[in-house]
Amino acid sequence: MKRAWQSFALASISALVLSGCDDLEAVDDVQRGDGEGAIELAEFPDRPYWGDTHLHTDNSVDAFGFGVRLGPEAALRFASGEEVTATTGAKARLSRPLDFLVIADHSDGLGATRRLYDAPRIGVVAQNDETLLRWYDMMHESPEQSQLAIAELITAAANDTLPAALRDPERQREATTEIWNAQLELLDRYNRPGVFTALAGFEWTLMPDGNNLHRVVMFRDGSDRTSQVLPYPGLGTTAEQLWDYMSAYEENTGGQALAIPHNSNLSNGLMFEMTMPDGSPMTAEYAAKRAEAEPVVEMTQIKGDSETHPFLSPNDEMAGFGVKGWELGNLPLTARSTPDMYAGSYVREALKRGLSLEEQLGVNPYAFGMIGATDSHTAMATGDEENFWGKHTGNEQANTDRANQPQNLGTRQGRFGWHYLAGGYAAAWARGNTRAEIFDAFQRREVYATTGPRMSVRVFGGFGFNESDWDGDWVRKGYTQGVPMGGELADSGEAPNFIISALKDPDGANLDRVQVVKGWLDASGDLREQVYDVVWSDMETRARSGGKVPAVGDTVDRATATYTNDIGAAELRSVWTDPDYAEGQRAFYYVRVLEIPTPRWTLFDAARFGITLSEEALADSVAQERAYTSPIWLNPSA
Amino acid sequence: MTLPGWTREPLVHFLVAGALLYAFFAWSGGNAVDPSSRVIEVGREEQAQLAVQFERTMGRSPTDAELDAQIEKFVRDEVLYREALRLGLDQGDAVVRRRMVSKMDMTASAAAEVAEPTVKQLKAYFKENAARYGNEVKVSFDQHYFDAQDEAIEALRNDSPGQAISLPAEMEEASLREIGDRFGTDFANTLSELEPGSRWQGPVRSGFGWHLVRVTDRSAGAPDFDSLRPRIENDWRSAQIETRKDRAFAILRDAYRVEIDR
Repeated sequence: MKRAWQSFALASISALVLSGCDDLEAVDDVQRGDGEGAIELAEFPDRPYWGDTHLHTDNSVDAFGFGVRLGPEAALRFASGEEVTATTGAKARLSRPLDFLVIADHSDGLGATRRLYDAPRIGVVAQNDETLLRWYDMMHESPEQSQLAIAELITAAANDTLPAALRDPERQREATTEIWNAQLELLDRYNRPGVFTALAGFEWTLMPDGNNLHRVVMFRDGSDRTSQVLPYPGLGTTAEQLWDYMSAYEENTGGQALAIPHNSNLSNGLMFEMTMPDGSPMTAEYAAKRAEAEPVVEMTQIKGDSETHPFLSPNDEMAGFGVKGWELGNLPLTARSTPDMYAGSYVREALKRGLSLEEQLGVNPYAFGMIGATDSHTAMATGDEENFWGKHTGNEQANTDRANQPQNLGTRQGRFGWHYLAGGYAAAWARGNTRAEIFDAFQRREVYATTGPRMSVRVFGGFGFNESDWDGDWVRKGYTQGVPMGGELADSGEAPNFIISALKDPDGANLDRVQVVKGWLDASGDLREQVYDVVWSDMETRARSGGKVPAVGDTVDRATATYTNDIGAAELRSVWTDPDYAEGQRAFYYVRVLEIPTPRWTLFDAARFGITLSEEALADSVAQERAYTSPIWLNPSA
Repeated sequence: MTLPGWTREPLVHFLVAGALLYAFFAWSGGNAVDPSSRVIEVGREEQAQLAVQFERTMGRSPTDAELDAQIEKFVRDEVLYREALRLGLDQGDAVVRRRMVSKMDMTASAAAEVAEPTVKQLKAYFKENAARYGNEVKVSFDQHYFDAQDEAIEALRNDSPGQAISLPAEMEEASLREIGDRFGTDFANTLSELEPGSRWQGPVRSGFGWHLVRVTDRSAGAPDFDSLRPRIENDWRSAQIETRKDRAFAILRDAYRVEIDR
């Protein structure tokens, strides 16, 4: 019988391949766990650890279709500093490794496009779905066709018209389990307490009508706990169901999880509503659940910056960074944005709304800290301007004209390559580099966002800081007599003050200025905001004029994409007291640090590849990169 | 199971596997498809596969009628597929070509993904790639900061203190990576070359300005196999996959003569 021979032949091949097996334990228990007790910890968090919590690999349904062929292992190697070969062929590495990484592939259709692509055509034909078959053929035809297929897929997901084979989580369960477990094992293998932290996570991708309500979910734990769940699907579920899934995970396993909303700038006002998702008044229960599940928000990434919009903050002359292009509409640009939507789309306004909701409900659903991330779909986590590898494989460096190209995949009119930011990073103040320490820093909001540079920013709030603290151990005083970023102060009847230090990126640009952004609920119940220039470089010669600090200058040579550190400062520090304090006021304070102007990735491209940027792109090719700390809240005394 | 050393050679695996596959397919009628044959066998195994596929899609087993429909579909595809081969439609088709190429690459690398290396293999790999795991240099030092070079030089002469900055005044047994993260890459590299001793040296440039430095200790610990073991195995595995692809290709490539008109 032929079948018997077939089996025998295959078995022989397997036996040969597997010969040389040996009982080996390659991953030790320390790597598998949450890292508690694994390394010696500092008394207080002593340095920021740098990471990306939002990276896609070839297991993401869109990333694969966009062309990426690097998987989670390459992603971990790249983030921890090793050289990898990018999908389009060039060698890539980070000039400085990251300290932690969350691989956040889309839970919906995890690995589905790869399975679709690898499936024999007969298998796809058997699915009896014309759309699926057409996408299959497009994916195999050419990279360009594949990208178009995925643009269609994203739009279909937004319109809830995905083929059944990609939509139904039950049908995907088996394959998802396999990918998830393989990934958890891989994360443990690369997790090296004290050196590099590999955290499990996924992206939950809800987008009603294309309005982006995406969250990244990250776990504190090793595979012993995370393997007890599967990534939660976004299609057909609600945010409240996601939070229930997370609390069930915590109850059942003893582990911990948190969710990080992102790209609120593409939500057309739905991310930070004053009401429940169905328009009814927000309940305290909903607000409490949200506050519990979502301590941190992703403020800045490749698809724009969500701090604030010039329409919302007309008096903030530095507002509007990373807004161009993204402000036009929702994620697939199937619905345009109008200014009345902005308030629910930007983070500063959400922090303000939180004060108002807390006044009404007794709980603040929007009291979150801030981080930056990449959201790269190339499996390479880089937020560095001079090392930008694109949003997806279609605009890796092999595509030298990427800055000028319209990003009109499917219906994406009006957005161009140069609208992409190089992406940001998350900084976590932790006592050591382990899963537990990094996660806990997120949980207590002792984290901050940068648009790429690694500046060290520290702020403590309290009531007794003064200039002489700089002569002593001000960090100890900060922790013992005040609260760090992410903390809360109770009104004491006197104005709060803040001890702030911002150190430049040691391998980067000097600093222009440090600002405090205050938002508050005034006595008449109106929400207000104010940006204060607290300290800036060369204060003696750069005196305020007309109430404004003069611009720091610009050393960027447009022809060569270089700059010098002849202007700006290495460190800016200050003890600042709120001049507009009023007793009983609900308020938050966060620190924004600006670098001197430096070339954006587009200008590096122009110099490196000899391309000519369009007029608009050139006008936007130099920017002041920045850091945003998590706020410190001032609450009325009980 | 003890086998001679050559059986562990990836190359041998590839060649043997290739030969077996070739022999097997040649004998079984070439992926069960011989364009010249007009017999289609739908054995129990094919039927089981169709049923499994159906179950994956629909979340339940097919009824007899549904299975029959799947078989009909399979037969239809098979007929058309063979006729297409007969007409040579697979020739010059970019999609077919790409698919075959990636299948070949996967055949070459699949074994490496599951293979378990022996300690001996890993130790050999570790030795060959010693530079990668480096003699990790650790430095203990004190530093005083100055924003200008001449002030630092002046201070070295007068033994005067540095200026305030939020950087550690001392680091104990810090790796170059840690020092680089705090003070900048160039500073870390310079520090790795300074001789330890009780005297202040410099000024050394950092990302912030200039530093007088007192290196109290510098050690280059030999990399330890046991503690690096998981990382070495990871690296070994990745290297194997690449090597197998390359070597498999090289062997096949050798059999070809390529003529390019210039």
